[in-house]
This record gives sequence, structure tokens and C-alpha cells, in this order.
Amino acid sequence: MERVIGESKKSFMTGNEAAAWACLAAGADIMFGYPITPQNEIMHYWTRMAPKYGKGFLQTEDELSAGFTVCGGVQSGKKAFTATAGPGNVLMQEPFGMAEAMRLPLLAIIQQRGGPSSGTVVYSQQEVSLTTYGGNGEGHRIVYSTSTHQEIFDYIIKGFNTAWKFRFPVFILGDGYQAKMREPLEMYDPESRGIKMEEAYPLIGLGGKIGQDRGPSHLCNIYSLEEELYEVITKVQAEYDALAPQITEYDEKFCEDADIILVTHGVVSRAADDAVKALRAQGIKAGYFRPITLRPFPQQELRAAIAKSGAKKLLIAESAIGQLERLVKQEIYGETVKIETLFMPGVGIIESDLIDKVKSVL
Amino acid sequence: MIFTFEENSRIVEAYIGEYASGKSEMAINRALELSNQGRRVTLVDLDTVEPFYTLRPIKNQLEKLNLNVISSSREDSFGLGETGAMLIPRARWALRNEGDIILDIGYGVFGAQTLNLVEDIDQTPELKVIAVLNASRPMTNSLDRILEYVEGLGRVDAIVANTHMGDETTPEIISAGNEIIVEAARILQLPIIYVAIVEELKDSNVNNFGLPVKYIKRHMPAAMW
Repeated sequence: MERVIGESKKSFMTGNEAAAWACLAAGADIMFGYPITPQNEIMHYWTRMAPKYGKGFLQTEDELSAGFTVCGGVQSGKKAFTATAGPGNVLMQEPFGMAEAMRLPLLAIIQQRGGPSSGTVVYSQQEVSLTTYGGNGEGHRIVYSTSTHQEIFDYIIKGFNTAWKFRFPVFILGDGYQAKMREPLEMYDPESRGIKMEEAYPLIGLGGKIGQDRGPSHLCNIYSLEEELYEVITKVQAEYDALAPQITEYDEKFCEDADIILVTHGVVSRAADDAVKALRAQGIKAGYFRPITLRPFPQQELRAAIAKSGAKKLLIAESAIGQLERLVKQEIYGETVKIETLFMPGVGIIESDLIDKVKSVL
Repeated sequence: MIFTFEENSRIVEAYIGEYASGKSEMAINRALELSNQGRRVTLVDLDTVEPFYTLRPIKNQLEKLNLNVISSSREDSFGLGETGAMLIPRARWALRNEGDIILDIGYGVFGAQTLNLVEDIDQTPELKVIAVLNASRPMTNSLDRILEYVEGLGRVDAIVANTHMGDETTPEIISAGNEIIVEAARILQLPIIYVAIVEELKDSNVNNFGLPVKYIKRHMPAAMW
């Protein structure tokens, strides 16, 4: 594989650029996309760099087409990806559902923006429900919620591998702030860190005779018999559940003796990290728990953090009205810890918001 | 410190560069510098791609510092959403303002081309197009890449050497990066009007390559996004 980055060095850039470079470093072959704020620069930078590295790009007529062409791209054995936001993410749920049904290893970068509907381009964290369970299926997908440019880079590289290894669609969930912010990160070629990239391979048009040289490549998203659908979905669910422990990621700090645990994801967890340290310095026993994968959710790990800390309260904070909260509640059903919330849809949450909230509920 | 003595004629400068090159910081610092000399200054945010993520959050703060700021505000953009990504009329006619005009040209790819949207730009002989370069940016982190990038910008009259790494800037990063920019400027036969250094590193040992130095106060971190 071509080394794109060369000698690893620190760079200063926006999150969108980091995403485009990460796709290049990961050996992605082609991007299919349709412009939308705040992910535009992923396309801009990919299209600036792609010709120099023999990579492809197609701007389709809308996001439905972008989603389906990505589905086609991966079936032909190409590492294909897309990037979108808001209403584009809504439209792409149909092709994303196809990717779930046919177990297509596509990668989609979502830079969340506000909603509902079409025109709101500002920051928000309101695409959690959509990105985790948006299709007309069972959410058989993997969603990484990043919080820094370094993570955007790292998890895109990891995401391509997760997709091609486990054959589930993978989502990198960022937001308008992460897309536009400028901060340093270290870019690298995966091989230089000992990361082996999974090879892409065609899923259709295979050689040999079916039944003699190989089994059928049965990529299906249409089931006419109820029992057949039941059988397939049950089997996929079992596979997903079995793989979940290998895929699940989280970050946890100061939970050993916490009276209150702050549960946040994405860019808000940066504020939570600062807030917990500040609260600790003031003698308040706050803990930090951040699901990095929202699907599959680190359920056992959060339950364990609650149990070992003996925390009396969780504070779930997000730039949305309860999208993370609903995920958490369904995952830790039965726990008796009291849940407090700080919901600020569209608005960034900073350290002082969290500190004030913690003090008001303790 | 340079730019201290200016003739009385109007100053019109357009700052172009990649995302995170520091063009907005350079434009703000320059506008404030001129304003502090008692000059009337208009700072124009000419980002036609993403007006919601540019100077907008710190517009009020800059206005308190006596700048006339032309940028999308909440009121301008209310209800427009994505269609708000248009050239606001006050930016289009910015050159009709009295006094100095500092243009912050958003989105680096098209360089000075974006200036064509501004009325009277072709009748402004005092215009200087200044490319802000940061060698910590992947598209401008080697001699070849800088040459390719600057040549693709169209008109450039001068360069600001602004190598930095945000909060993690060190004298070594500035010196090593600017060495490449200095060499590129020599090949391109473009003047480097100054080396920009954050004021926090004023007393550190940064190589300025014998060029003028300007100490910069960072305003953009207050634009929370």
C-alpha cells in the first residue's frame, strides 16, 4: 500500500481535513458524496488529493444515490466511503439499511448538525438516534463517536478495518464543531504504527462455479417469507452480539469512588474531562464515563462503573434532548442510580455548564 | 514592529490562505493595529462557503474594539439556514466604506478569485493580496507543496510566514516551518512582509531569518466551534 503521510509529523488543521487525510492513509479507493454543511471540506480535500494518489470521486445527484453508490463500490471490492450530515444522513438511511441487510463494509463520516429538517447548518448532537438506529432494521451497525481530530484520524483508519473485518457498516460520528475546529494531530501511515489494513475484496462477480468451486455469494435485502426474515435477522443479531465485546470501546476516569458520574459522548466529553478534574480539585468526587462506540454500547462497562463507584447519580449531558440519555437508559435498565440530565440542543456544552449542574444536583 | 508608519492613503489588504493558516488572525491583528493608530478600519469576512463558522461568533467582541466588522450575524442569518451561504451585500460593497479595508478571504482553494465578488476591486490600485502560510499544514508542509499551492492561488503580492500549531506552538516549530517558507518565497520571488509569532513567545528564541517580526494576539480561539 502506498505511503501517503511518509514520516509521521504533527499537523494543524480542521477535523474535516483530518477525515480526508485519514481516508487516504487508510487506503480508501473512492468517495461518493453530495455536498452538505458541515462536512463539505471532507469532499473538498479528498477531491484535491485524490487525483494525486490515483483515487476516485463521484458527486452523485443526491444523498440517496451517494449512499447506494457506496453500497455498489464496496460490493465491487473497493474501499468506498461517504460523508454527510443532517438531512443527508436521513436520506442515506435507506442505503445504510441495505448495507446492514447485505452486510456491506461501507464507512460513512457523519458531521452532525441541528435539526429537525433541512436547513439548519449549525452544530448539534442530534443525529445520535438516527446514526445508531436510523434504518428500518435493528441497528446492525458500528458507530464511533469521536471527540478530537486525533480520534477522527485514528478511528477512520480503525473504522475501515472494522468494516472489512466484521462486515458491518461503520459510522464515524463527529459534529459541526469537530468538523470546523482547528487543532494539532499526528498523522501517520497505518503500517508505521504496526496497524495492518484489512484487504478489500469483491463481494460479487466472483470466479469459479457455484456449488463446485465456491459457495454462493448471497447478498440479499429482499425476503418474501416471514420465517426466512426471522431466521436471517436472528442469525445476524447473534453474530452482532457475539462480536460486540471485541468492538465496544469506552473511556473511564475517576469512577472508583465517584459520587456522581458524568456520561457524555463526542465533543462534549472534552468539557466533561475538564469539569471532572476541576470538580475533583474542589473536593467533589466526580467520575467520567464516555462511550466511544455508541453501537455497540459499552453496557457492561457502564454498569460496572456504577457498581464499583457506588455512585448515587449519573449526569447525562449532551447537545440534544435525550438522544444519548435514551441509549443509556435502554442499556442500563434495572440500575437504580438516579439520572440527572443537562440537555442543550444546538448549543455547545462547556466545563462551567457541567460544574454548575453537578453542584446543583449534589 | 512594522507597519507603524503608514502614509495617509487608504490601505486595502486581502488575506488569503488555507484553513488554519491563520488568515483570520492576521486580518484581525492587522485591523486592530491600524485601528489603534487612530485609523478608521473595516474588517470584512468574505467566507462564501461556510459563513456560520467564521468570524460570526466574535463579531460583537471585535466591534467593541472599534472595528467596523462586516460578517454574517445572527440577525442576518436568522431563518436562512444553508441558503445563508451567500455574499452579504455589505461585503460586496465593502470597498465603498471610508477608511482602510481588511478582507479576510475564507476557504483557501480559490485564493484571490473570491475577490472578484467585491465591487470596485479592479479599480483599487492600493490592493495588496497577502498569502498567509503555515508550514504545519499538510498542504503546505514542504517546499514543493508550498510552491504548488501558492502558484495555484492566482495573484499574490506578499507572504506572511505564520507557521504555528495552535496551543502547541513552540519556537522550534515556528523556526523549522518558516525556514521552508523563506526558501519558497525566494524561489517565488515574493516578499515576506513579516514573520508572525504569538505574543506568548515574545521572549523566546525564534529564528526570524532577518525578517520583520509581528507579535500576534490570538482572537479566534474565542470563536467557539
